[in-house]
Amino acid sequence: MAKTVDQYFAGLQQTRVWRSIFRSGTGSSTLKRALAIQQNVFLHLFSTKVRTRVLSFSATWYLGTLTLGTFMILVATGIPLMLYYHPSVPQAYADTKDLQFVVSSGMFLRNLHRWSAHAMVFLVFAHMFKVFYRGAYRPPREFNWVIGVVLLLITLLLSYTGYLLPWDQLAYWAITVGSNIASAVPLIGNKIHFLLLGGNAVNANALLRFYVLHCMILPLAAMFFVAIHFWRIRKDGGLYNHDSEPAVVRTKSPTSPESKSPSPITEAR
Amino acid sequence: MAEEKKGPLGDDLSRRQFFTKLGLGSLSIAAIGTAAFSYQYLEPNVLYEPSPVVNAGKPDRYPLDSVTLDVNNGIYIIHSQEGYFSLSAVCTHLGCLTAWKQELGIIACPCHGSKFEQSGKKIEGPAPKPLPWKRLWLNDDGDLLVDRSTDVPALARDSFVRV
Amino acid sequence: MADSKDFVAGVDSNAKRSPRRIVFITRRTSAQVKAETEDQIQTFPEVLFRSAVAVMTLAVVLIWIALFFDAPLEGLADPSHTPNPAKAPWYFLGLQEMLHYFPPVVAGVLVPGLVVMALIVIPYFKVNIEAEGLFLKDRQKRLRIFYVVASVLSLFLLFFHVYAALVPTLIVAALMIIAAQNSSQSVFAFARYLAARPLSYWVMTWFLFELVVLTAIGTFFRGPGWAWIWPWQAS
Repeated sequence: MAKTVDQYFAGLQQTRVWRSIFRSGTGSSTLKRALAIQQNVFLHLFSTKVRTRVLSFSATWYLGTLTLGTFMILVATGIPLMLYYHPSVPQAYADTKDLQFVVSSGMFLRNLHRWSAHAMVFLVFAHMFKVFYRGAYRPPREFNWVIGVVLLLITLLLSYTGYLLPWDQLAYWAITVGSNIASAVPLIGNKIHFLLLGGNAVNANALLRFYVLHCMILPLAAMFFVAIHFWRIRKDGGLYNHDSEPAVVRTKSPTSPESKSPSPITEAR
Repeated sequence: MAEEKKGPLGDDLSRRQFFTKLGLGSLSIAAIGTAAFSYQYLEPNVLYEPSPVVNAGKPDRYPLDSVTLDVNNGIYIIHSQEGYFSLSAVCTHLGCLTAWKQELGIIACPCHGSKFEQSGKKIEGPAPKPLPWKRLWLNDDGDLLVDRSTDVPALARDSFVRV
Repeated sequence: MADSKDFVAGVDSNAKRSPRRIVFITRRTSAQVKAETEDQIQTFPEVLFRSAVAVMTLAVVLIWIALFFDAPLEGLADPSHTPNPAKAPWYFLGLQEMLHYFPPVVAGVLVPGLVVMALIVIPYFKVNIEAEGLFLKDRQKRLRIFYVVASVLSLFLLFFHVYAALVPTLIVAALMIIAAQNSSQSVFAFARYLAARPLSYWVMTWFLFELVVLTAIGTFFRGPGWAWIWPWQAS
């Protein structure tokens, strides 16, 4: 029966309907594999070929990929959570309790959302430090580093706005403290505080603004900058790897192997 | 060369094919499980809506041969010669609230002109079905209760409540 | 093109084997794409499958954690009752610890603002790009500057009783002194490693160290009234 299933799928893939959707088809030829990337609206952000050294796990520990992974988990859990959540006071708290005790799988979704959020903040910091320590911010990748800092700020803001939504004591006071820090900005601090909260205190307006920021504005901003971040990686020559692009010529280096390096590339500034 | 392994149906299976099948099989099970749990998640377990059971009060509020519309709950309490019964006041066409026309002795819907008899049977209009009879009974306190979520057969002997 | 070439260009007649883009930029003002003869692999399936495995592993770990550990939920928000202590989310606890020592303008606005700006400008400084060991050149002069900066910073922290930030500073300073005493000829591998570290490494490591220590203190060592407690004393 297994064989007929294969035959069934093979037949299916020959139909006009299938071929109108998936134009290139699968296959293990270089052409087919390149087309799988190049013909896909989401994947053609990547190039069809990359340098082999890009795969090295020890270079990056795949931290950037993992950060994006947590982001995807957060979107996938966050959207279902929105279906049972009313961003009003005090309904928000009742809804959070509902999600935990009444809704099927609600406790699991909320837990997964929360732990993925903590993981994402941690991973984004780890990614930043790893990129720094291996020197992957150097020219021509300077601007991508700046985009990365912007993404770090967006991640922290996402976590901060999401923190208020359960409307429990933890949330309320954490945000009260945080927004009071914002009012410490000289000259415009109080204005910022007022605009951020939509009022003078953390109340219904604040909850709604944080909800819109958390569920719409900041995720869109994040996706926008992530797309630029990936595009810049590609346009800057792929992931940085020291053996491919040593940023500095070390004439005498006791630790690196004496093997031939590619053409001595001096720092070109 | 890989050894000729036999699959579960006796056909030849390479190691790559075996692992592909294993992987795809596990992913399908996970996907089906996820779909099942997602569907369960989407169906609410608790509804914040009023109960379908309505307390219509004591039977002597409804004189003989009267048709009383309860606008807030969308039902008629009718006291006829055979006893008490309850009709849904929601027109079966597109859900408008019908009204009892005393002078004409019919139930009429203002939206598209459907007309019904006292028994719920349709006289004319675009409504596809008669007005359904709702379950009516007496509770221990002697109150009439109507369950709007339960239909009973029209004009059946057990659909009337005799006091 | 009077200056010496700082790249090597090659041309392969077999375009199928190694597709290549060669850009010669004479004024060095735009992105530098250099000719290369490296091996290349297909994004799909090599890169994408590895990424998929990494993300799936992450998902499995997070799902296990989500199944066993519950997200916290305290009582309904009550504006009339402030819990003691009122702590920010963990990634802001380092900041909150600093708020204990400095006014909000400094700890809440100045320091984070300067930190963000410092991060952004890192790749635009030549010194961060060259990546040479800090004390391998101009040793005496740099050592003097180092002593001045380290002393001023330590005294400043001491004056404001910011022991939490003082200890990491002293530790990093000690490591830097070790680095200054060594070179690439030293006996111990660790000493050689330290000697080769550039300035950017020291600044960033100090920042990372401070971040970890302040956040840890804010999380585990602060109790009601932001008083110092030992973690095992916490209820």
